[in-house]
Amino acid sequence: MYIAQILVNGILLGSVYALLGIGMTMIFGIVKLTNLAHGEFVVLGAYLSTVLAPLLGIDPILTLAITVPLMFILGFLLQYGLIGRAMKKGSEPALLVTFGLSIILQDGMLMIFSADARHIPVPYSKDTIKIGALEISVLHLVLFAISLIAILLLSLFLRNTYMGRAIRATADDADVAALSGVNINRVYAIAMGIAMASAAVAGLCVGMKWTYDPSVGGNYLLIAFVVVVIGGMGSVPGTLVAGILFGMAQVIGGASYGLLISYILLLLVLIFKPKGIFGK
Amino acid sequence: MAKRRLKGGNVRVLDSLPMLIICIALVSALYFVCLARIASNNSMRYMIQIFLYITMAEMWNLLSGFTGMTSLGQQLYIGLAGYSVAVATTKLHLTLGLGLGIGVAISVVVALVMSLLLYRMEGMYFSVATWVVAEIFEKLFLNWKYVGQGSGMTIRIVPYPRIHEICVVALTVCVFAVATVYLLLRTKVGLGLTAMRDDIGAASAVGVNVFNHKLLVYAIAAAFTAIAAGIFLVNKGIVYPESGFSISWTVSLIFIVIVGGSGTVGGPIVGSVIYVFLQEYLARFPGWSNIILGTITILTILFLPKGIVGTLQEKLGFEIFSAKRFSYAKHR
Amino acid sequence: MSDTLLRIEDLHAGYGDFVAVDSASLEVKKGGIVALIGINGAGKTTLMNTVAGLHKPSSGKVYFKDEEITALSADRIVAKGLSLVPQGGRCFTRMSVQDNLLMGSFPKTARKNAKAMLARVYELFPDLEQMKQRPAGNLSGGQRQMVAIGRALMGSPECLIFDEISLGLSPVVINDIYRIIKRINKEENTSIILIEQDIRRALKTSDAFYVMLKGKVVLSGKSDEVDPETLKKAYFGI
Repeated sequence: MYIAQILVNGILLGSVYALLGIGMTMIFGIVKLTNLAHGEFVVLGAYLSTVLAPLLGIDPILTLAITVPLMFILGFLLQYGLIGRAMKKGSEPALLVTFGLSIILQDGMLMIFSADARHIPVPYSKDTIKIGALEISVLHLVLFAISLIAILLLSLFLRNTYMGRAIRATADDADVAALSGVNINRVYAIAMGIAMASAAVAGLCVGMKWTYDPSVGGNYLLIAFVVVVIGGMGSVPGTLVAGILFGMAQVIGGASYGLLISYILLLLVLIFKPKGIFGK
Repeated sequence: MAKRRLKGGNVRVLDSLPMLIICIALVSALYFVCLARIASNNSMRYMIQIFLYITMAEMWNLLSGFTGMTSLGQQLYIGLAGYSVAVATTKLHLTLGLGLGIGVAISVVVALVMSLLLYRMEGMYFSVATWVVAEIFEKLFLNWKYVGQGSGMTIRIVPYPRIHEICVVALTVCVFAVATVYLLLRTKVGLGLTAMRDDIGAASAVGVNVFNHKLLVYAIAAAFTAIAAGIFLVNKGIVYPESGFSISWTVSLIFIVIVGGSGTVGGPIVGSVIYVFLQEYLARFPGWSNIILGTITILTILFLPKGIVGTLQEKLGFEIFSAKRFSYAKHR
Repeated sequence: MSDTLLRIEDLHAGYGDFVAVDSASLEVKKGGIVALIGINGAGKTTLMNTVAGLHKPSSGKVYFKDEEITALSADRIVAKGLSLVPQGGRCFTRMSVQDNLLMGSFPKTARKNAKAMLARVYELFPDLEQMKQRPAGNLSGGQRQMVAIGRALMGSPECLIFDEISLGLSPVVINDIYRIIKRINKEENTSIILIEQDIRRALKTSDAFYVMLKGKVVLSGKSDEVDPETLKKAYFGI
């Protein structure tokens, strides 16, 4: 029974970790860039939902209707106006620009929101449902639903729309995509917009589950990185499986050793299978 | 493909005798200022910082600007050195020199172990992996009772070195670091490194032993970073996990190298001077410091990608510390 | 309106200090087939990549339908009706054959006709319909080339550039592909530029030809009036 409980918790939380990885893997796979600011994007998403929910008097989940488009636009503009320009100078300058962004965002949030730990309160955070001997947290179920819906919507978008196909095509061969009439810089900007929108959703989930403050972005970046590397960059199903594996490691390792276990897991994967367990 | 040819038009200044004399004179003057205690304690405090940042930035530049190994984890060696000095002097009552030596030794050993890992990685994988390892060490030291867990250790040395003594040591380390980078780049190794940065596949195809080169550079960088950081933290008097293993060290080094001029030997020197004074100035605006540093770094990458020294070299047509063994001039 | 569809005037292009195209001028008539021949490294591919917007020219002008398209980005040139099928049948290897083809109708103007064009492509290449759900990465070289041609057709281009379409393919497949190229030219009235190493086949298929050597156009004329000796001299530069 204990194992079943771990399995269930690992899967439920794993979906949140997968969502954290999705934004990172998109940028990896499509823009061919490591976005070192991804963790701060997630934290920014968490703050936006934390502030907007009481301000508008709505359920935190409904704030997504504002934060998702807002973060999309922000990501689009960042890529178009800043990161894309740096990419013309090479991949290392672009990497350092995202690093600079992460520092600026982190200290910017510190000045606006202070270093106090925050949390998005929900009435059902302590509720549980009993199924047989299994005890399932309602919060975890809600997080699972949000993450899974977000990932599903993204997959459908990538699979069935012209823009989605163009994004996959650009990831595959940017030159040929341009020869098919795709504006590559625009696709990059849209990909960054989607990555930031996914960070908004991930931020909401993170904020509902854990406390956070401006300095935790690095942790979420590393989590996203672990998930992406294990899943193989650019692969949505791989990321989902990797997220769940990571979730299990967290549930087994607990608060004190969970992160350490996964960092070591990451290093092992990097040493023995540098392109990820599911990468080719 | 690209037609380039050797040409005598670009003057390499340090190779000329007058410039060498100027450099020696300048260094001697700095020694004199420290030893004769002409400078005030306050200005010596700045000088120490500048010397040590130059050392660490030259090493980061050696990794990133010359070799293409953009490390985000040099704070690993900074923390290790800080704790080594603290444990050696405070707990084991050894001398400071021995403490620094232990710090360097541990750093080099860790660097050699790390190289097994880094051997397999390039580009962003390398960058993030170095950061992850530094994070792991931070977590380990946070939970390690012997070194005071989260609150860290106060460094107690009897007698505590005086500021001008620290200044002389810092200057010596700095001179050695700059000379090492300069000489390293002008040997055959340097040529191999530059080839690796530009095209790692081609470099190994023409017989550059990529792993040995990486290992050598990475270990040298770890050693110098460790000794500089050890002195830096002795000057501060305290080390704790969030200060020793903080990513903000890397932020500073990136700022210094990018603004000064990545891939130039002079860049970190100029960058360090700017950084130390800018930081002092920014202390008046608490909280804004990293935002401003980050913004300046990004703007430099976008609009002055060669940094101050790199741009000046291009405009004026000379290099103070040329890393090249030959000068190349564009030919049309 | 003149009957010239594409006009290249004194184009120069290169990589860094290396000059790949050193003054090239060329004209393609509406509905015509032009062969662009030359030895390896003569600058044919760079010239056509520059025309298609993948590469920036250092000087010179390109007109398409009497409108200047010099240095427009590749996606905007495609939207105007000029399409390049790159060397080696490059496909989106991780996408299905059908998704590859649908990428061809990405330009907004082409999306309305996507269904009709898809049917048309499957009619020209019945093999592709059989394997439309398979990833393009699993196809043979000839099949990939068909996908690449089909993808370009999806946008109903007025001018199609084929870069060494027969490279690495078996004679049977090459014959098939050339037959289809002629059909496309006749039935859709699409102008065609063929970059080709096989001089005989290129001349047999085309109306006009251009020979490039060391980045320059050194000889041009009507394909059925060419003197073999002059051609040989121009081709090898002797």
